[in-house]
Amino acid sequence: MNLSFLHPALLWGLAAAAIPLAIHLFYRRRPRSVPFPAIDFVMQARHETERRLKLRRVLLFTARTALLAAAALAIARPRLETPEASAAVGPAGPAATAIVLDTSASMAYRLGGRTLLDRAREDALEVLSSLGPDEPATVVVCGGEAVPAADPAGFDRVALRRTVADAEQGFARSDLTTCVTAAVRALGDPAALATARRRLVVATDLTASAWRLDAPAPVVPTPAGPQRPEVSLLDAARGEPLANRWVSGLVAEPEPAAGSHGYRIGVAVNGEGMEAERDVPLALRVGTGRDERTAVRSLLELPASGTTRKALAHDFAAGGPAVVTVALPPDALPEDDALSLVVDVPRDVKVLVVNGAPSAVRHRDAAYFLEAALTGPASPVRPTVVDAEGFAKARLADFDVVMLLDLRAPGPKAAELSAFVENGGGLFVAMGDDVDPDRWDAEAKGLLPAPLHLVKTAAERGTPGAEAKAARLAEIDWDHPALRVFTGQAREGLESVRAWRYMLLKPGAKDGGARVLARYDDGATALVEAGRGRGRVMLYASTLDPEWSDWTIRTSFLPAMQRIAAWLAGALDERRSAPGVVGAPRPLQLPAGLSLAAVVGPDGRERREGAARGDTASQGAPVVTPDRPGLWQVRVRDLATGGERIDPALAFAVWPDPRESDTRRLEPSELTAWFGGEALARVASDGRPSGSREVPLWSWLLLLAIAAFLAEGLLLG
Amino acid sequence: MTEAGKRLLDPVVLARLAGLRLRVRATAEGVLSGLHRSPHHGQSVEFSEHKEYAPGDELRHVDWKAFGKFDKYYVKRFEQETNLRAWLVVDASGSMGYRGAEDRLTKLGYACTLAGTLAHLLVRQQDAAGLAVFSGKVTNALTPRAEPSQVNAILETLEALQAGGETRVEAAVQFLAERARRRSAVMVFSDLLDRDERVLRLVADLRRRRHEVTVFHLLDPSELDFPFDDPTLFLSMEDARSVEARGRDVRKGYLELLGKWLEDVRRICGESDVDYVRVRTDQPLDEVLVPFLSRRERSAA
Repeated sequence: MNLSFLHPALLWGLAAAAIPLAIHLFYRRRPRSVPFPAIDFVMQARHETERRLKLRRVLLFTARTALLAAAALAIARPRLETPEASAAVGPAGPAATAIVLDTSASMAYRLGGRTLLDRAREDALEVLSSLGPDEPATVVVCGGEAVPAADPAGFDRVALRRTVADAEQGFARSDLTTCVTAAVRALGDPAALATARRRLVVATDLTASAWRLDAPAPVVPTPAGPQRPEVSLLDAARGEPLANRWVSGLVAEPEPAAGSHGYRIGVAVNGEGMEAERDVPLALRVGTGRDERTAVRSLLELPASGTTRKALAHDFAAGGPAVVTVALPPDALPEDDALSLVVDVPRDVKVLVVNGAPSAVRHRDAAYFLEAALTGPASPVRPTVVDAEGFAKARLADFDVVMLLDLRAPGPKAAELSAFVENGGGLFVAMGDDVDPDRWDAEAKGLLPAPLHLVKTAAERGTPGAEAKAARLAEIDWDHPALRVFTGQAREGLESVRAWRYMLLKPGAKDGGARVLARYDDGATALVEAGRGRGRVMLYASTLDPEWSDWTIRTSFLPAMQRIAAWLAGALDERRSAPGVVGAPRPLQLPAGLSLAAVVGPDGRERREGAARGDTASQGAPVVTPDRPGLWQVRVRDLATGGERIDPALAFAVWPDPRESDTRRLEPSELTAWFGGEALARVASDGRPSGSREVPLWSWLLLLAIAAFLAEGLLLG
Repeated sequence: MTEAGKRLLDPVVLARLAGLRLRVRATAEGVLSGLHRSPHHGQSVEFSEHKEYAPGDELRHVDWKAFGKFDKYYVKRFEQETNLRAWLVVDASGSMGYRGAEDRLTKLGYACTLAGTLAHLLVRQQDAAGLAVFSGKVTNALTPRAEPSQVNAILETLEALQAGGETRVEAAVQFLAERARRRSAVMVFSDLLDRDERVLRLVADLRRRRHEVTVFHLLDPSELDFPFDDPTLFLSMEDARSVEARGRDVRKGYLELLGKWLEDVRRICGESDVDYVRVRTDQPLDEVLVPFLSRRERSAA
């Protein structure tokens, strides 16, 4: 029969039992001498009360000391262990032991100031210490989805102890079913088979998500056939429930109401086994590293279990890639209390609108409609409207996109326009009565996606039946980034556009790279795009005023124009960086001219090895496998100059595996049944594989403390 | 009594007065102004016989009742020997030197003030006042005399007293048994803290010798209330004994024992026909003397 303590470190509290003695000694004063006449009465009174007072003092001192000592002992959770026959009794004799140490993310859960992995590691080391000299063993560290390597059982205890001691906390999910299968298979090697018994010890937290109980239970391959091992499941949580709360989801959607760079950040918080709480602080942080700041503080009302959603609005200061992090107050498993997301905030697009044929009547003026569309609420586009004369004086390099409306011909600006596009600028050209196709073809040769031919009139507007005869948009390329926003009924706004007149185009050069975004129902090109150098040119065959087409009054006009401007400026190229999960391989799409130098993890450590190894996907894109949650940065090398830099556009967020956050635990009986029943398997909530019965003493000590407290009260009374 | 006169009788105020004479004078004046009209006009005499009036006799001694009956003038004659003889017996043992607070009189100081005042009042009404001071034995004694110089002698003796030695009431009783053969008033000023348990029986003996005995039992408030809490080393004031005790632990027992003793003292005095006056040394002196004197006047009448 042994006395042991669940929290032996708390035995320091026993020092509190010395407090009454210390107080007694501290306050013990030399008596004051007082001459007193009636000393006979004092002597007599003292004589009569001395014994009673002495007894009372001793009892009081004992009660106080007992109160503090019992409380301190109770906190250390003492228990009396009485040896008992193991439930999982096999044949007597030495056993080959395979130890599986769970290092999954949920093992970072903190109980009593220590992580579950610390306890599991201790349990595993204790098992190793208890092995006899003729008992071979092997250790399998189980972290991540990959099938772990299980060495044959051997006798190098030092190496095994080092393996256990060096096992690091993982952040990925572990598949314990795979791990125990690999470990049990290792017990089939000759050294293990030479022993009388085969034993599997699993040091884990018993979370349900780590096990696949629909898979067959592991068996040891022996010459006599498959044999089930004895199984000891060492519960690192010591039978306690693992309540957890985690940020389970984070999405960012543009929110025009929040500002020109406004976003609506949707947060989902899950809880399991927690107590319901009100006014839980939720922080939205923006930025990374030293630039990180808290942008929004909010309060959540969280139920005991289930999901709570919250929407936060934030207006980013500027366009470009931005990192948002949503964080709850840390709990016992802090790794999943914050999620980050990389948001590609649209950059401001500066557009030069050239009105080739200004009209005094506003509703006949093409630029009027276009400017109104581009300056819509939350639009990232900043238009500047000029006429043909103004265009001649304009400096195109100051703009991202040039939109030419009903311009007779580019004239002397043609060369500058070509250079502008070649250098990455965007050009949008819309037709009109003033457009001179021949001059365009001559002056802007090779710039437009296709040469202009002549104007076709499908119907004379205002004549009977003209509505029916008008051309409609068809064969629309909905997959084009500029038109991808039109989904469902919204597409009708584009499909219903009618054109009475439009410019017919000549067939372009085969290698012109033109992409037709929409045609009219007679097959004529309505909207076409082509790449020129690093820039893009888009041609609309009709007008942006009501003269030739009614697109301006359709609901699709505003979003289409904003998207087209953004697309031509290259703002839509910036991909939304979807967050990944810990342990999931992630290909990195690097821009041309750059190569991967290193990836920088949330811990600030650069990982060059993986990058240098040239792990690549089939397409040739480098692949990284993030091993921890948080924001990962990518350091790229410029192939031309050889210089290295962090590219913010390539940063990506990695989230914890949600299955590891779900800390619901398996019923021990489910696991023991899977391993072959209680005859073979047992779950040890004390972390000790051997069978023993424990008698908890803390409740008795607590009773003693209460009794001492009451006794003290009576004695004082 | 005026406010100033009352203040003078406060022991705290008296304690600030430097000399016993001053204290006695202040007290005596205060007491006299507190007493009602005295029927004896300061004299303590006993009627002896009538004689027929002759010129030269004092007119105030003419018995007007007799003149009414007999239509002759008779003059009352008094016996001088019937004057009161009083022994002031003062305990000057070590325990009488106690005072529980600095601003109080010691028990001996209080006793001397009482005794001096009474001596003053007695001699003032032509009674004879004597003094016996005792501790382990009788150390000072003055035979009762009615001369004004007797007051000075008594006050001088009292003023020179220092508390010390053990209490031995027996010594005083034996002294009085030898010296006070005539019936006298004996006023004992003591705390009665005599280790001899017969102390009260000895005092009662004086009564049996036909003396009028009054015991002024002087106690300090600290003796009566026992205001000690912390561990204290109590030292005997008359011998080398000492005892260490935590005040709050022994207070209850002490007060019980003291209460029982005081009750016994009062009972035995009552049984022995001894006049008993318990005096707290924080008590104004007129509160002690005026009732005592009034009581004596009533009994004399």
